[in-house]
Amino acid sequence: MATSCFSNVDEYGFERPHNFNYETYEEFMSEYLKVLAKRARKWAEIIGEGRSLERSITIKRYVRKGIPGEHRGLVWLSVSGGEELRHNFHNLYQQLLIGPHDSHVSDIIKTDLPRTFPDNIFFNNTDRHQRQLFNILLAFAHHNRQVGYCQGLNYIAGLLLLVTKSEETAFWLLKVLIERILPEYYTPTMKGLITDIDVLAELVKIKMPDVYQHVTNMGLPWAVITTKWFICLFAEVLPTETTLRIWDCLFYEGNKIVFRVALTLIKRNKENLLACQDFTELAECFKDITKDSIVLQCHDFMQSIFKLPGSLPSSTILKLRTKVEQSHKDQLNPRAGR
Amino acid sequence: MIDVTMANRGTAQRPNGTQGKICQFKLVLLGESAVGKSSLVLRFVKGQFHEYQESTIGAAFLTQTVCLDETTVKFEIWDTAGQERYHSLAPMYYRGAQAAIVVYDITNQDTFMRATTWVKELQRQASPSIVIALAGNKADLGNKRVVEFEEAQAYAEENGLLFMETSAKTAMNVNDIFLAIAKKLPKNEQAGNASTSGQGRRLVESEGQKPATGNCCK
Repeated sequence: MATSCFSNVDEYGFERPHNFNYETYEEFMSEYLKVLAKRARKWAEIIGEGRSLERSITIKRYVRKGIPGEHRGLVWLSVSGGEELRHNFHNLYQQLLIGPHDSHVSDIIKTDLPRTFPDNIFFNNTDRHQRQLFNILLAFAHHNRQVGYCQGLNYIAGLLLLVTKSEETAFWLLKVLIERILPEYYTPTMKGLITDIDVLAELVKIKMPDVYQHVTNMGLPWAVITTKWFICLFAEVLPTETTLRIWDCLFYEGNKIVFRVALTLIKRNKENLLACQDFTELAECFKDITKDSIVLQCHDFMQSIFKLPGSLPSSTILKLRTKVEQSHKDQLNPRAGR
Repeated sequence: MIDVTMANRGTAQRPNGTQGKICQFKLVLLGESAVGKSSLVLRFVKGQFHEYQESTIGAAFLTQTVCLDETTVKFEIWDTAGQERYHSLAPMYYRGAQAAIVVYDITNQDTFMRATTWVKELQRQASPSIVIALAGNKADLGNKRVVEFEEAQAYAEENGLLFMETSAKTAMNVNDIFLAIAKKLPKNEQAGNASTSGQGRRLVESEGQKPATGNCCK
């Protein structure tokens, strides 16, 4: 749109969708820029004065309100424990890059490089980003051989690289996410993913039984809807700034945030979802809800994830995981436990 | 509970006023990573091609309609992730599918081997009446070919598969393979009952979506 003061490429190099509503976005940004300015001032006080970024009530509150782009790498590392790891194993990344490397793994990663954010101006215009992404994924695959390379990690590492602009920082953040924050989503069995998809379904059943019933009646498996949400942590799903605001909280508060976001998306669009008359419509609706103005307005959206889904103690998630895992075992082994 | 009584069949008013039968079928694409599954779908549904197509995570869902002489066939297309570890999710996508396209890359022998294991899995686990097509994609890269046409054709014949070499890039045989599947799918009263998914689906012709073939819905 020629009249918009916003470019058709966002600050991270992603092209905005063709049907992007610049008018709504301008309205939103006119308010959000004030929020950003205020947050930038608040964070500058902490970081400028060299105050601790360690976990505390204040930092948690600040994180929920959004970390300014330029500080994200630093703060994510600090609040997630990545900084400590990096300090303790300071040569690890360089050593991993030296090798030796498994050529099979390296070939698989290479195949995905040009297929990662092909519309992003940083990834499609220069070799540099693709080479850096290759290094991060190769290093991680050789560091964590149980996970190796799983499709989806390319998007996470790619976005980490765009935000931090540092290969090594992105590597450590990737390591923290995969090994500390998320439970076995990317291992060959994807056990943690399959469990958490069902945990989310259980949470929907508890919190929005009508939606759960409707989705079940339409015959749409939850995995079909949510695999990408869990695997990409909403990268390539939600607008970039919204995804990064989610990651702010994810690095501080852990993987519970993914459930909060998913439940909020569903709850805010409940009426639309319930209005879907068939499987096709419902599948389309689940795609649409990740692209509407609600999710573009990241500040409101992030406030709503802590209110709308209601209480969500970690203990509930843990209990549901145990329950779901048990029922998976029973399905494999119908006689056991009877 | 799922309503299994409704067959995937209905009638709809065609633009020229004649009554046509609409059949809705679930089709799944399977095959190794980067063989061109998403590109085939994108070519078929939107007529587009991207040299670098984003890797698919989980699965993508699209619909497209093709018209045969007397019937309109609406495909519900499930495009899946190719990497081996997503395999455990695959049954969810081919369960209840009436058709599958198993894709390999003619420039990569391993992807052909992987295709044959997908075919075996479908023959063992999917609906017994599933129509399977084998697509040797990237046919535009003939100078890098390692899987011979005759080899794949012989394999397809032995296994009762439809077979075509395709190119999502040049559009060669892309509509044709979907059309061949549409023709082979049973369109009688029992058509929908073969499905184990049996979603009771309301059959509404989607507007604003152009049918893929020329010989269609005149």
